[in-house]
Amino acid sequence: MEILKQKLSSNFNGLDIRIPGETRMIISTVKESMLSLLSYLKNDGYEHLALISCNDWIDAGKLELIYILSAYMADDTQYKEKETRNIIIKTMISRDTSKFLTITNLYNSAEPYERELHEMFGIVFEGHPRLTPLMLEREYKIPPFRKDFDTMAYVDNTFGKIPSIQERKEGMQ
Amino acid sequence: MRELELYFGPQHLGMVGNFSITLKVEGDRIVQADANPGFLHRGFEKLMELRTWMQNFPLVCRINVVEPDHMELIYSMGVEKLAGIEVPERGKFIRSIYCEMARVGSHLFGLWAYANMLGFDTVANWAMYHRDLLLDLFEELTGARVYHIYLRPGGVRRDFPEGFTDKLVETLHKIGGKVPDYNATFFENSLFKQRAEGIGIVTREEAIRMGAVGHTIKATGMKYDIRKIEPYDAYDQVDFDIPVRTDGDAYSRLLAIRDDMIESVHMIFKLIDKMPKSGAVYTKTPNPFKWTIPKGEAYVRCESSRGELGLYMVSNGGDKPYRVHFNTPSYNHGLTVLEKALVGESVSDVGNIMISLYVVAPEIDR
Repeated sequence: MEILKQKLSSNFNGLDIRIPGETRMIISTVKESMLSLLSYLKNDGYEHLALISCNDWIDAGKLELIYILSAYMADDTQYKEKETRNIIIKTMISRDTSKFLTITNLYNSAEPYERELHEMFGIVFEGHPRLTPLMLEREYKIPPFRKDFDTMAYVDNTFGKIPSIQERKEGMQ
Repeated sequence: MRELELYFGPQHLGMVGNFSITLKVEGDRIVQADANPGFLHRGFEKLMELRTWMQNFPLVCRINVVEPDHMELIYSMGVEKLAGIEVPERGKFIRSIYCEMARVGSHLFGLWAYANMLGFDTVANWAMYHRDLLLDLFEELTGARVYHIYLRPGGVRRDFPEGFTDKLVETLHKIGGKVPDYNATFFENSLFKQRAEGIGIVTREEAIRMGAVGHTIKATGMKYDIRKIEPYDAYDQVDFDIPVRTDGDAYSRLLAIRDDMIESVHMIFKLIDKMPKSGAVYTKTPNPFKWTIPKGEAYVRCESSRGELGLYMVSNGGDKPYRVHFNTPSYNHGLTVLEKALVGESVSDVGNIMISLYVVAPEIDR
């Protein structure tokens, strides 16, 4: 872990690397060096993209993108220290413009994750081959997983207008 | 030849669960497949941001209908990591036994789905019956048959009832005694072999490129299993093997699943032998209504019956999670790997390949 930390800090500028446990490494970086960092780590053997996630820090006006990488086994039967690691790479993007570059050409498995984030957080991944809706059937003014999307108000507006049985009975009379 | 667009599911006999695939076919051959999830999307991750740490358990277990136990486990692990809670020794063993029971039950359910889809009704009924025996045990242990909510941050809700392990051993022997019959009627049956061999091949390179985990990668010969890679609970205290196959087709995947089930049964026996005879089963946690967890983030992972299951969790120091994101194995298998594996296959094998990839739709939608 320490060796990887040294390698990364000598190759990239402005990384903030923390090692909270034996098996986790959290790297915060600026968005410009994200792609080169990911491709560097992929060449270093971290070929498994476990997750792309997003955090909405509404008070700071930022969206935080989180890429979690791990390594497949180099040897089919021997367990090594490298597979136990998870590398969490984070970067901030602006909440208003919310644009970022796609990594589908680096990691094929990124495609559905980016589609989901596009739908749920409204992030446009430039260069993505098909940024079509994945799960939702209608469009929302505020993407539903952002913090300012009020689920209670949405439920009231969508389903609250259905009259109760009592009201319907009264209306019939 | 003319291309035709074909909608496969969600209402289709070969489709398990609420999921659909849009196929482009040329005659009987599939040219292109587009997975179309979302029929079960309930926004659980958003709803969890509005509920306290303990209130989330009823939601968490509904993410995977077939196997809610590993969902409970991963959520508990996430909260434990953030709050810095340790599980007592006996609690760890009970958790592992419980999760292996869930794995056997889930594999039996998968076997039911596969056999039923291919028309092997006898095998399907056996598998369902044997799963039901396990559900009886779950009912005795937790009070519920499907959604148990038995695990909690810090351990398990209560200890095993008296005589439970004996009943468990007896039931597992009953299921294990049927394995030769399963082999003769299903796994070694030439009718089944002809349907499954050489179908839906996922090679090692493709599997790595698409982020496959679980049996999809085990069927290409890699012993990739989180129980071994990053042992949690009591898995570092027992000796077990990870069964693998090398061909990468639907048949290899199913045999890897069968061997995994048998290995799980053996593992339960070993865990029962090694389990401490007495002791606490959970660590006390604060009042759930007032429980706040310090600021921080955690990524935890475990091996569910479908493969690597992960959870990214953020706390901002409040009484509710700030962000919860599940990395479920069916997500990659159902969206990326399935689209690739279907190309070039026949329409009659769509359900076959989908079930062999072990896709369960609610896990994708969440």
